[in-house]
Amino acid sequence: MIICEKVAKSYPLGRSRKQVLRGLDLQISPGEKIGFLGRNGAGKTTLIKLIGGVEYPTSGRIRRGMSVSWPLGFGGGFQGSLTGYDNARFIARIYGHRYSAIRDFVEEFTELGAQLKMPVKTYSAGMRARLAFALSLAIEFDCYLIDEVIMVGDQNFQQKCHYELFEKRSDRSLILASHSPELVREYCDRALILDQGDGRVFTNLDEALNVYSAL
Amino acid sequence: MHAKLRSGWRIQRRVVGALMVRELVTRFGRENIGFLWIMVEPLLFAVLVGVLWRYMKGPEEHGVSVIAFVASGYLPLVLFRHSVVRSVRVFSVNGSLMYHRQIKVLDFVLVRFLIEMIGTAMAYLFIALLLMSINEFPVPADLGLLIGGFLVYAAFTFSLCLILAPLSEISDLAERFIPVTTYIMIPFSGTFNMVSWLTPEAQDAMYYSPFVHGMEMMREGIFGEGVDARWDLTVPIAATMVFTVIGLSLCRRVRRQLVVE
Repeated sequence: MIICEKVAKSYPLGRSRKQVLRGLDLQISPGEKIGFLGRNGAGKTTLIKLIGGVEYPTSGRIRRGMSVSWPLGFGGGFQGSLTGYDNARFIARIYGHRYSAIRDFVEEFTELGAQLKMPVKTYSAGMRARLAFALSLAIEFDCYLIDEVIMVGDQNFQQKCHYELFEKRSDRSLILASHSPELVREYCDRALILDQGDGRVFTNLDEALNVYSAL
Repeated sequence: MHAKLRSGWRIQRRVVGALMVRELVTRFGRENIGFLWIMVEPLLFAVLVGVLWRYMKGPEEHGVSVIAFVASGYLPLVLFRHSVVRSVRVFSVNGSLMYHRQIKVLDFVLVRFLIEMIGTAMAYLFIALLLMSINEFPVPADLGLLIGGFLVYAAFTFSLCLILAPLSEISDLAERFIPVTTYIMIPFSGTFNMVSWLTPEAQDAMYYSPFVHGMEMMREGIFGEGVDARWDLTVPIAATMVFTVIGLSLCRRVRRQLVVE
């Protein structure tokens, strides 16, 4: 269970502050899959970062009753100057896993071959996505935080993700920040629509997608 | 509660260990002597400045070897300067690591400081052995006091880093003032002179410098009766405690507002 209570977040904007989220309440149960929909800048990524503990809410609190992955997007989680293998070794260490098991899974899942010996900053977006997914799948979390931008991989990668995430790990929770109604309809049970700092949860996806397209 | 504390401690050790390896690899790479570079710089500093002073002032001053005196003062100073410089903006440069919740901002400060401290200690040992072999460094009169002094000095340095790291995230001013401040503080650090060589008024003022006490302890640990060391633990311990409390609360506040890319 993940519980967000009256979560608000604002960022400094010149002399005033930009209010991105205003007191949002949300609960995510084990196994549930929820899509965050909203326009650019509506706060989808911000909310994912708050749930992942990357940033802290300005007020309100977030309780995590299950293990939550780091937000899988382009940016964070890696050290660009280190190689793919070094990053894998680092992540194995901080999560207390055996490196050899992680390495084997990463090699197999990413199919990056010798590229894993190169610094991550030389990777394309798709290659980073492969590495990020592989590592978080190898660690095994109860809840995965996924920013849609990372779903950029080719056909083969998408199939692998689909199998690993939605078939093998169908009991896990998933939070997907997305612009794509199709993706949300395909994978999610519920949708949260973010607009003007407020969020509305829809259990009826058709209704949610109608509201979203009217934004 | 006990089990929770123990697992927390285990995670903490794992994270600090992983961060140390990562920091060493990114900073020194895996080529040639790798992380041994960390002691080369303090080593060169101490030896070259020592040799310079040796020719400016002669082999001995106040009855102790000039080279040994300079080396024993310069190494802790290098620890202080490097730690301070490396704690600047340490949170934002490590931003991508904050994606992993078990890594805390304090770990960044601690890891960089520990690397400097270990490097300095290794350089210290190396220089001392080297100089001993050419009879320019005495066998320490009281090794415990030498190590104790080093720890007192290092602890204060660390407490300062705990304040500077978050301050440098809030304002650029902190960074701008660091070079001049670290330079101006040299006379107040006990690096190049014993307190007992100063005028009585200056001695009274030096009592309030937290660095001096650790330095005097180290000097007494090395030269024993050869020097007249003046130290007590009140000022350094009080200063370290106050700075640590301020630093920890600043770190906490800054972390909550930190914008991570």
